[in-house]
Amino acid sequence: MLHIGNENLPLCSGVNRRSFLQAGAAAMAGLTLPNLIKLQAAGAVNEKKAKIRNCITLFLVGSPGHLDTWDMKPDAPDDIRGKFRPISTNVPGVHICEHFPRMAKIMDKVALIRSLHFNSGASHENGQRWMMTGHDFNSANKQPHMGSVISRVFGPKGDLPASIVLPAGIGNTGTSTPHGQESAYLGSAHQPFFLGSDPARADFKVADLETRAGQDELRVDARRTLLKEIDGLQRTVETGSTLERDTAYARAFNLLTNPETKKAFNLNEEPAKLRDRYGRNTFGQSCLMARRLIERGSRFVTVNQFDTVFGISCWDMHANGSSLNNTYADYEHVLCPQFDLAFTALLEDLQQRGLLEETVISVISEFGRTPKINPKGGRDHYPSAWTNFFAGGPIHGGRVIGSTDKIGAAPHDRPVTPPQVVASIYQAMGIDLETTMLPGPGGRPVRFIEAEPIRELFS
Amino acid sequence: MDQKLEGTPKATLQLAGRKVTSSEVTNHWGTRLQWKVSRDGREIAAIGAGLDLAYEHPETTPGKYEVVLQQFHYVNYKKDAAGKFTESKYINISEPVSYTI
Repeated sequence: MLHIGNENLPLCSGVNRRSFLQAGAAAMAGLTLPNLIKLQAAGAVNEKKAKIRNCITLFLVGSPGHLDTWDMKPDAPDDIRGKFRPISTNVPGVHICEHFPRMAKIMDKVALIRSLHFNSGASHENGQRWMMTGHDFNSANKQPHMGSVISRVFGPKGDLPASIVLPAGIGNTGTSTPHGQESAYLGSAHQPFFLGSDPARADFKVADLETRAGQDELRVDARRTLLKEIDGLQRTVETGSTLERDTAYARAFNLLTNPETKKAFNLNEEPAKLRDRYGRNTFGQSCLMARRLIERGSRFVTVNQFDTVFGISCWDMHANGSSLNNTYADYEHVLCPQFDLAFTALLEDLQQRGLLEETVISVISEFGRTPKINPKGGRDHYPSAWTNFFAGGPIHGGRVIGSTDKIGAAPHDRPVTPPQVVASIYQAMGIDLETTMLPGPGGRPVRFIEAEPIRELFS
Repeated sequence: MDQKLEGTPKATLQLAGRKVTSSEVTNHWGTRLQWKVSRDGREIAAIGAGLDLAYEHPETTPGKYEVVLQQFHYVNYKKDAAGKFTESKYINISEPVSYTI
């Protein structure tokens, strides 16, 4: 039986998924337009029935060099192996960079994928689209972010949005093409909630959760009532866009007025010692906030480690002497230590709270970096090979999937593509990719992703 | 949004012989920690701090040794031609301890 969330698609018996897809869906499934719209309205399924795991995705925007982090080649020539040395971990035979000593102690919980690659353009945005959606696309045919897919099919569990992005959406990373962190054709009701501010700051406030000066709850409620009355006058035909806007407004009002949802974003409720354990920096405190939001009912939290690659210390190690002047110094003194502290704190914290089995952690990035160090001592974009990893949920840690050649230039065995990573995230969340459908463009049910999960993560 | 490291990290050192042990770091910025070792007022070593936050300097050259825990204070990404930070630098986050050989 095929279904979208908990809504079964009424099919003639004997029709399988392949023939359903070949026939082009809605009519064959007996779904007329009004029924499709009803299905959309009912798309926020009863959260008590939707038993899927949560996901926290840590997106290492800018992209760490794989040869300097999790796929080191100490025997390669000088101009390839890089400055750092590998250290052993608690998994025999598995080595990672010396600047991740905490992570080295918990590699039994982590599954490394060392053979990721894709063959299209090497822009940040290209990699972002691939890794956030499982697709490449342009502005004319946008594909939805994984969190938006989860929001659309499974709905929120409680009052928090199903999909949240911390601390901010990705801004300028080089081109004006999409970053893959929007709801696309799923509609604005399933747009991620973008926090839009730095939770590490002492003056941190969530701008969208504060009423404007001069407004109080009475006024906000009065506006909502007025809006309802206006809508009632116009409601002669229920359309998808009306329902979608209603859901978006309802969400916005709820966030603005519900004290419990506001509290979810309040890190001052956490012990100072725990905040220190994550690291008093943007990434660390965002990881802590992600744990809080998952704990309080959000399903899919994406933490963008950075929102740009220009003019800041980040993984984009071009060493170009101007606005992309990240070097080994950034990795050694800032980035690797901050990641090591925050990532291990997150896993430890989730485990101590009994949440790790119910939360998939994916750590992903746009691409790798060139094996040969450039003339300025940096590395440039390289989608031909890189390493990302998973932990939590049903992921079997302590393993390495795939490998690269002697200089990290290409997959040597078990090549893996971004759609497979996305498929694996969905599978790890407990979604049956064979039977669960997604309302695609125009409402036609489509498969979540046209790729098979990486089976070695689960066996 | 560049990160702005606020507050002041702090640690307390204890000395037993030549071995220095630090308390946990409060207001930890997440950046790299290191031990700065000086002898007779001159810096002789800057060693990355291990997870156990304990350090014993191996040199036994006579002199007055001082050890302090430092953390990298990231201010901005500006660097010199050699790729080293110019405005971000290590700062002391503990009081120094000293011993004489």
